[in-house]
Amino acid sequence: MTNRLPEWAQPVVDYIIHVGLKNTLIIASTSVVLSVVIGVVLGTLLTLDARLVRSAVRLYIEIWRGLPIIVTIFLLYFALPTVSDELHFPALDLDPMRAAILGLALWGSAQIAEATRGAVQSIPREQHEAAAALGFGWVGRHTYVILPQAFRRLLPPLVGLCVGVIQNSTLASIIGVPEVLETAQRSANRLAVPTVDPATLSIEGGDSHALEIYLFVFFLFFVISFPLTRLAAYLERRLH
Amino acid sequence: MTVFAAFDWQYIWDHRQVLAEGLKVTLELAAIGIAGSFVIGLVLGACRAYRIPVISQLAGVYVELIRNTPILVQIFLIAYGLPRLTKTLQFDFFFVACLALIIWGGAFNTENFRAGFEAVPKRYREAAFALGFSRIQTFLNISLPIGGRIALPSSLNTYVSVFKNTALMTAISVEELTNVAKQSIDLDFRTWEMILVLAVTYLTLVWLLSILIRLLERRLALPEAA
Repeated sequence: MTNRLPEWAQPVVDYIIHVGLKNTLIIASTSVVLSVVIGVVLGTLLTLDARLVRSAVRLYIEIWRGLPIIVTIFLLYFALPTVSDELHFPALDLDPMRAAILGLALWGSAQIAEATRGAVQSIPREQHEAAAALGFGWVGRHTYVILPQAFRRLLPPLVGLCVGVIQNSTLASIIGVPEVLETAQRSANRLAVPTVDPATLSIEGGDSHALEIYLFVFFLFFVISFPLTRLAAYLERRLH
Repeated sequence: MTVFAAFDWQYIWDHRQVLAEGLKVTLELAAIGIAGSFVIGLVLGACRAYRIPVISQLAGVYVELIRNTPILVQIFLIAYGLPRLTKTLQFDFFFVACLALIIWGGAFNTENFRAGFEAVPKRYREAAFALGFSRIQTFLNISLPIGGRIALPSSLNTYVSVFKNTALMTAISVEELTNVAKQSIDLDFRTWEMILVLAVTYLTLVWLLSILIRLLERRLALPEAA
């Protein structure tokens, strides 16, 4: 099948799939995992009675949900390293890939925290009381009784988050991470430069093929996202 | 910590002019994007809800295509892809930005309004028809006031997202707030100063909008929903 592609297209497709898609999937999966871990903990804390804890978590959610993700990424990628030099704490000197992952995770964890709060609060009081009567402490009660039940309600927003993170991972291209969009852009830029054939001295290429390349990227994302949004809608319907 | 000790308020003050210009472009983009997505959402949402043949199916495809692809890819497709088709599709990037915001917001809003109109109880429309209202009259007097209010919370959230998406126009170098701030970072390395300006401006506007949304929701909530 691949033989039918025009000559310019094969290396472009290879590059976008093997380098771009790989990085996109690494960014998306890492930040989804981080988002879920941080988000579930924060969301559960949001159901606590402690006012101070709740307002601290609220602030976290409102900040990272309110900022455009690109501003968060700029903060992590351009501003944090200046502090890292100052403190001699090189861990804050994020490479573009890590900055993108962390930026998406801050946004994603805020989404998941909000969803977790709703899911945990939907579990009837009796479940808390029964677990407490069985001798579970707060942590045990939540880990073994409440959260496993809340998970059913958390599933649709979780799948929705995957779609959101995969789509927003394209923002990493703005700080130069070679994910799908960045590799597409580089390919178009490369093709736009004409080359001279050393044997015949004739000028070749110079056509960016931007339309075909970006359409390919467009449908690549569609093919990944569409089944996931269907799945989220199905899971949502099954709840009711 | 010297980074924060060296924090230069004066630098921000000195750049108030450019920053204000950037903010102006951001607000223009947001206003155009929101207005456009309102119109598209209203019209296509109604077509979807009342199953107007052909338009309804096309709108369905449009919604799925836009909602399942990143807006940044849509921006690039419009900015760099379309001009390859014919030269007449070569727009200046401010126009591309508006177009992308409207197309994106319109798709999400179509879904919001469709759900809103479909949530209007059938018996209301039937009552209107029985009273001799035409289809258009029924829509304007019954479905729109009720369905529009049901769709309000979700559509307002879409407008907040449209506003936040204006920051992405940095990628096609439209001179909006994020881009202006980024350019001065590249020039002077006063990173924290500019990031602070960005964070405070966006958070203030988004939070103000959210408060406004909550107030509006309470005011416009259907009496029976309470």
